[in-house]
Amino acid sequence: MKRFALALLLALPAVAQTTRIASDFELAQMQKQLESSRSFEAQLSGRLNLGDVRTARNELSLARIEYQKALELSEKERRAARLDSHLTRYAVATSYAALARAKLHRPAEAMQLLEEALRYASDDPETWNLYASAMRILGKSQKAVSAARNAVAVVDPAKKLDLAIYQHALATSLLEAGDEREAETLLVTVTESLRSKEFERLQRDAAEQEAFEIYSSARGDVAAYVSLLNRAQLRLASLYESRNDLAKARKQYERVLAGRSDDVMALTALARLAPNDAERERLYADAFAANPFSLPLIREYRRYVREHPRTTGGTAMQRALQQLEHGEMRAARETLDALLATFPQNETLRKLRIEAESVTTIALPSATPTATELRVLLDAFERLTPEQRVTLDETGFTSEVQFDGEPGSTFESGTIEMIPFRFAQPAQFNGTFETRARLTYRILGVTRAGDRDALLVEPLRLEPNR
Amino acid sequence: MKRILLLLAIALTARAEKIVTLDALNDTAEIFDTKTKTATRIATKATPVASAFVGNELYILARDARVLQHIGGANIAVAQDPAFLGQSEGKLYVYSRSLGMLEEIAHDRVTRRASIPRFASDLEIAGTSAYLVYPREGRIRIVDLKTMGVRGEVTVGAVPVDLAVAGGGTALTARILAVADPSAKRVWLTEETQSTAKAVARGFLRGFLGLGLFGNRSSQFPTGVDRVWIRGKRWFAYDTSSGTLYSFTRKKSSVLARNVTLNDFYFTDEGVTLRSGTSVAQTTSDE
Repeated sequence: MKRFALALLLALPAVAQTTRIASDFELAQMQKQLESSRSFEAQLSGRLNLGDVRTARNELSLARIEYQKALELSEKERRAARLDSHLTRYAVATSYAALARAKLHRPAEAMQLLEEALRYASDDPETWNLYASAMRILGKSQKAVSAARNAVAVVDPAKKLDLAIYQHALATSLLEAGDEREAETLLVTVTESLRSKEFERLQRDAAEQEAFEIYSSARGDVAAYVSLLNRAQLRLASLYESRNDLAKARKQYERVLAGRSDDVMALTALARLAPNDAERERLYADAFAANPFSLPLIREYRRYVREHPRTTGGTAMQRALQQLEHGEMRAARETLDALLATFPQNETLRKLRIEAESVTTIALPSATPTATELRVLLDAFERLTPEQRVTLDETGFTSEVQFDGEPGSTFESGTIEMIPFRFAQPAQFNGTFETRARLTYRILGVTRAGDRDALLVEPLRLEPNR
Repeated sequence: MKRILLLLAIALTARAEKIVTLDALNDTAEIFDTKTKTATRIATKATPVASAFVGNELYILARDARVLQHIGGANIAVAQDPAFLGQSEGKLYVYSRSLGMLEEIAHDRVTRRASIPRFASDLEIAGTSAYLVYPREGRIRIVDLKTMGVRGEVTVGAVPVDLAVAGGGTALTARILAVADPSAKRVWLTEETQSTAKAVARGFLRGFLGLGLFGNRSSQFPTGVDRVWIRGKRWFAYDTSSGTLYSFTRKKSSVLARNVTLNDFYFTDEGVTLRSGTSVAQTTSDE
């Protein structure tokens, strides 16, 4: 029970989730573990882990189901322990019932249960630790700091791993409360301690067992050690990065990757800090392969694509994000629909899909349309009213275009203000033209040019560029 | 004055009864004047867990801020994890649970400190004695507030959690303590200076309540009770796990309310009142 409880301390609030996200394989492993074990501890840790993983994948409905199951388990255990007059069990189950309620955003109930547990177990650092964890989830940073301090105060200092876990929890709470100085001291202490000879046996065991999984509710010393080292290094790295101490930050992120090469947070951070775009894109690709649904990664990558509009390729999720950022909503919808077919419960995908539908009212472009006007039309062409279609058919537009290919008299495709277009068939013009010219045209519809949406255009007149 | 988690601290001022409700989650206190029926809400420091009136002056213990707030006055810094507050002879006493520290506060400053064993689950003060309950040890320690030293201890029950002073304490009689023990599913009655075994041995057979003493041996508190209050001749107990509020005597218990939280009721000198306004027990009916 002890190590189980310790590991639960590592759980982070959903809003501040910075942990790696388990792969589908890991989710399957967790489900398998649940099915093969019947004990309260195994069932509870399994549910909480699954809930946290689902939360990190932004599968919030599924996460709630797991947390609800964790709550039911702990309430059942609580009642049974009370009837059995087993007050230690009762206190433990009460703490976990509180944690589950915190994860379900029921703050008053959570706090009442936490206080109830303390009446029986104020001498137990894990009870304080769970208190701190629940308060962090509820956004009560000062209460979390206070509870975490009590955990550190009452833990037996000879229990080095326990001490490190509670110091890490205190550091986490302090960071959320804005006290970076003490947090840094604690994180340095924790990471150096975990990497020291004091933990030689666990380091050896972790290597022998090839343990790399990062749990929010780890069971056993090896799992707790591996998870704690990962989290503590990530937090320290993030702290250094926020202070612009990039060399130290990079070193810590690299240490995280040394323990687990597909840690999405470390990969994302190293991509952000990469010395060149090639390295950055490689790291982003690795990060998306590790977890395509990580919100921090997605935010980061979209910013990168905005700053580098010619970015292409990568995983399906990367392509969807590129399409969204390029305003290619139709293509984005197709890509996202394909992903949703595989991950129908994923709320990140659902949100992105809604974003891809975001154009609601359509206005016809002006006579010399802007890129935005053409983009809106491209994305929502099918929403034009019949009257708008008639008007569009009758309207001529003029734009500067960039044809694909070489100068000459025959052209088939190109871009207007970066928006791809093509003719129904190659068009031959009278005269010889540069690839950059002034085109008067009608818009017939939407087609594809390579892997991108494009306007289907009927040329009316071509003139040299002015 | 009774501290109830999150929430209730009740005290009488010189002029009118005021009920103080603490919201430990949101760091507020509501002071309700039962005569004028008016309420005042104030912000407190982090995690108000207990309050007390000294005369008309209100003090609120904010655990996570580690201060005793004199409302309208000073903030008095206290030791880590100040969990319980009591008063005696115009002085306030704060027990810091994780550190094991009892601090005496007079005139808005700490006047004395004493190290007391850590991890008590309750503090009650009667006269110049403080009683601290230790669930893990099955023990109650008695602190003499004049010397600030532990002057005795009583072993009681399996997992005693909460305590109320049930009488005695005269020149001729020892003080009698009522102790909630959810593990034994009983409320123990014991004299302050003896163990339960000794009490039973010398015929202090009132030593425990909660069993069907005059019927079968099953407990009258099926899942145990973990809080106990004495109000005049009325005795109350509460089971947090099931949300059941009991009234009990030496002979029997009766359920006053089910599925209520600690926020749902409060005590007055006359009995207990539900937040809905229903008075569920008064002192008028003697046992």
